[in-house]
This record gives sequence, structure tokens and C-alpha cells, in this order.
Amino acid sequence: MEKARVDLPPKGGFSFDLCRRNEMLTKKGLQLPGFRKTGTTIVGLIFEDGVILGADTRATEGPIVADKNCEKIHYMAPNIYCCGAGTAADTEAVTDMVSSQLQLHRYATRRESRVITALTLLKSHLFSYQGHVSAALVLGGVDITGPHLHTVYPHGSTDTLPFATMGSGSLAAMAVFESKYKEGLTREDGIQLVGEAICSGIFNDLGSGSNVDVCVITKGKTDYLRNHQLPNPRTYISSRGYSFDRGHTEVLSTKITPLKLKAEVVENDAMEE
Amino acid sequence: MGDSQYSFSLTTFSPSGKLVQIEHALMAVGSGQTSLGIKAANGVVIATEKKLPSILVDEASIQKIQLMTPNIGVVYSGMGPDSRVLVRKSRKQAQQYYRLYKETIPVTQLVRETATVMQEFTQSGGVRPFGVSLLIAGFDDSGPQLYQVDPSGSYFSWKASAMGKNVSNAKTFLEKRYTEDMELDDAVHTALLTLKEGFEGQISSKNIEIGLIGTDRKFRVLSPAEIDDYLAEVE
Repeated sequence: MEKARVDLPPKGGFSFDLCRRNEMLTKKGLQLPGFRKTGTTIVGLIFEDGVILGADTRATEGPIVADKNCEKIHYMAPNIYCCGAGTAADTEAVTDMVSSQLQLHRYATRRESRVITALTLLKSHLFSYQGHVSAALVLGGVDITGPHLHTVYPHGSTDTLPFATMGSGSLAAMAVFESKYKEGLTREDGIQLVGEAICSGIFNDLGSGSNVDVCVITKGKTDYLRNHQLPNPRTYISSRGYSFDRGHTEVLSTKITPLKLKAEVVENDAMEE
Repeated sequence: MGDSQYSFSLTTFSPSGKLVQIEHALMAVGSGQTSLGIKAANGVVIATEKKLPSILVDEASIQKIQLMTPNIGVVYSGMGPDSRVLVRKSRKQAQQYYRLYKETIPVTQLVRETATVMQEFTQSGGVRPFGVSLLIAGFDDSGPQLYQVDPSGSYFSWKASAMGKNVSNAKTFLEKRYTEDMELDDAVHTALLTLKEGFEGQISSKNIEIGLIGTDRKFRVLSPAEIDDYLAEVE
């Protein structure tokens, strides 16, 4: 009796097949390709009505700015958002995957998703990859049990906090939070404080920069304030424009090489039947 | 009947060229509660009887019309548990499609994937066909669409269709009443009248379910209060 054809998912987990080869190659002097990291400042805090998340918008590839205005606040559920630091591909992929799982869960349970559900899905995925998925996240949202804010580390550990920062700019941002945070902040004060913390990261950390994104989550409503602050506008743009006429550049020598004619195009008569 | 010798095994054709198990599955559908769907010019409506086995059953806990994606809904006639399995698989496939293409799945694609699942269960060992026919209603870039999927895995696009106990009466009624340029509200009224045709007992918001999707592309199931409003308009 044949077995019923069942849809088996591909065997999961990281495939370690090529690791020995990679090690051998690096010993021989090969430079492994770099990956785009979000050297980042991401923050979150709980205020009187819910949760505010903030992030900068610079994505770096080593010392180069790869994206001046990327989105680091990812959608998980209508009432849950997640800021991601670390390898950009990892944060994108893991938040997309968990967001998809949460949607399926919502259909099955017919209920709003809970932050703790997203947290558990994220941490078990990251733990099973033993830190190779380089995603450091600040997860925040408001559900039926109230506002929640968590940090998730690449190895799968989590913290539950009233205010949190992650990324290379986390120290700069945490300094701002530690001195100015208090419980029961109003919406305006909360957004102001988050903006200050991110700006502190933008201006004092080389891995963070450009603009400030803010996301305010309250019971029943979420405001995604993309580019809430633009503290780094392009300052000098010449009003005369940048076109240069001939004569601006001194010509030192001229050499003209005519292209060799390779093929002759013969005029064809119309094709005969 | 010579066919009866071949009716036990799904994977064996009968001499007349039929797969008798699928015929039997269609009988299971035909004895299920009536459901119908109507495609209007600016949306789709699907409706079904919700006859509970006893007055003691908590009717608020049962929802026959389900969402597969925010813009695609489904109703069934036949065996409820079978439909649950299909809906679950289809939801997962819709999510996988989104993960791969970052685009919400078009209605035709989801219908095709669902039909493929149903067909697989007619050509595998040790399984039986699903005892449901589904009416899938959706609104995407190609406009409003209504599809019916049968236990064999075949699917058709309908302007209006019915399935279940009262199918022949309902279809005749729909053929008479259907017009190409119907608006969504008219379609809801027509759906209610069609349900009323073969309804045993008094029709009310407690023993029918209606789901609809309009140009806002958000499928939703009507609340009992809204159904009462429509019923009052129809009286």
C-alpha cells in the first residue's frame, strides 16, 4: 500500500555542509564577502497609552553607507511592530516569517495576535539557529493584555523592559533614556524622548545616521511615522546647477581611433514567397 | 449495477469511465446544507443556511463562512470538518505565495492551489476525496470573482451558483433573477430570496450566514444585526 502523498516541508535548519570548505579557503587567504549590516540605533519605550518604537535609517556595508533611508521598523501584526538591528537580510527574513505565521494563527484563532506569541516564535527560531541568524530586535505592541516591550538577542534570549535600546548606537540612546525616562509619559513627550534618543545615536555613533522613524502603537490604533524627523538634510546645493560647458576642463591630448567596420549590411529585397 | 463492483476503491476506474468514489462524494455535497454565491458588478456575496443540530448548540461559536485572505472568502456545502482542512491548507498556501512574491495571491491562483489539493486526494492511496464543494469569493485586480471547486478538483467560474440540498431550485431561481449589472446590495437581496425559496422553517439572522466583498476588497461576514436589516428590506 503506497503511502499517501503528504506535503513534507524541506528539512529545516542551517546546512553546515560548506563550513569546512570555507574555513580551508580563508586559511588560503580568500576574503569572505561582507554582508550589509544595519549598524543601528533602535529604541522602544512604554508610555501611558501604549508603546513607541524608534529607529534610525542608515544601512552600512562595512564603512560604506549602503542605504541612506532604509526602513528598520518592520510590520509583524496590525498591533505589533518590530525594530531590527544586525544583518539586514536576517532581520527582514525573520520578521517576515514570523509575521506570516502570526497571520495564519490569527485566522485559526479569530483573535488579535499577542506580543508574547511573536516573541516566542522569534526566540525559538533564533535559538535553533544558535546565533547564526544575526538579528537583534526590539519588539513592541499592544494586545488584549496591555502594552509590551521586549528585546530579542541573536542567540535567542529575551528581556522584558519598560524602555530598551539595541544596535551599535544603543549606548548613546540608552544614556538619553536613563536620564530622561519616567513612567506614564504622554504621547508627545514619548515621541520627543524617542526622537532625542535616536538623534543621540545618529550623531554620536558612526554606524547610525540619516533620519528618525517612529511608530506609536496604542490600543486599536497604530501610527507609523516614517521619517518623523529629518535632521540630516543635504545642505549645499548650488543654485547655478552642475552642468559644465566645454572649455572648463583643459584638454591635454587627443587621440581618435576609428572603429573597424566588421560587417557590411546588404540591402535586402523583400522576401519572396 | 456493474459500477458497484468498482465503488470501493478510489483509484480504480469503473467500466463506464467514472470514479465512483467521486460520485459518492458529490452525493455527500448534495445532501449538505444549501449555500450559494452571486457575483455582482462591484462585488461578490456568498450565503449559506446555518441549521444547527439542536437548539442547545451555541450558534455564535460556529462560523461556516471563513476568510482565506483579507480579500478572499469561502463557504462550503457538505462535511464541515473536511472544509476546515481545506481552508487551513489554502491559508497556508496564500501566505507562502506572499512570502515568495511579496504580492497578495490572485483569486485564480488560490482556487487552483485548492483544487490541486482536492485532486491529490482523488489519486492517492489510503485517502478519500473531500466531501465538500467550496464557493470561493474574492476581489482582486481582475475584479470580483466567484469560483466553485468540486471534490474531484475541477473548478469553474460562476456568475451565480448554488450547491447542497436545494441546488436545482436555487439555480433555476438564480437563472431567472440574475442580471449582469447587478449591484452588491441587489445581489444580497437576491441571495436572501434564493435562500428563502427552499428554506424549511422561518428564515432569520440566526440560521443563515452571509459574507460579502466589495470594491474596498475586504471580505467580511455580516453580523446578525446587518442580516436583519437586509431581511427587513426583502420582506
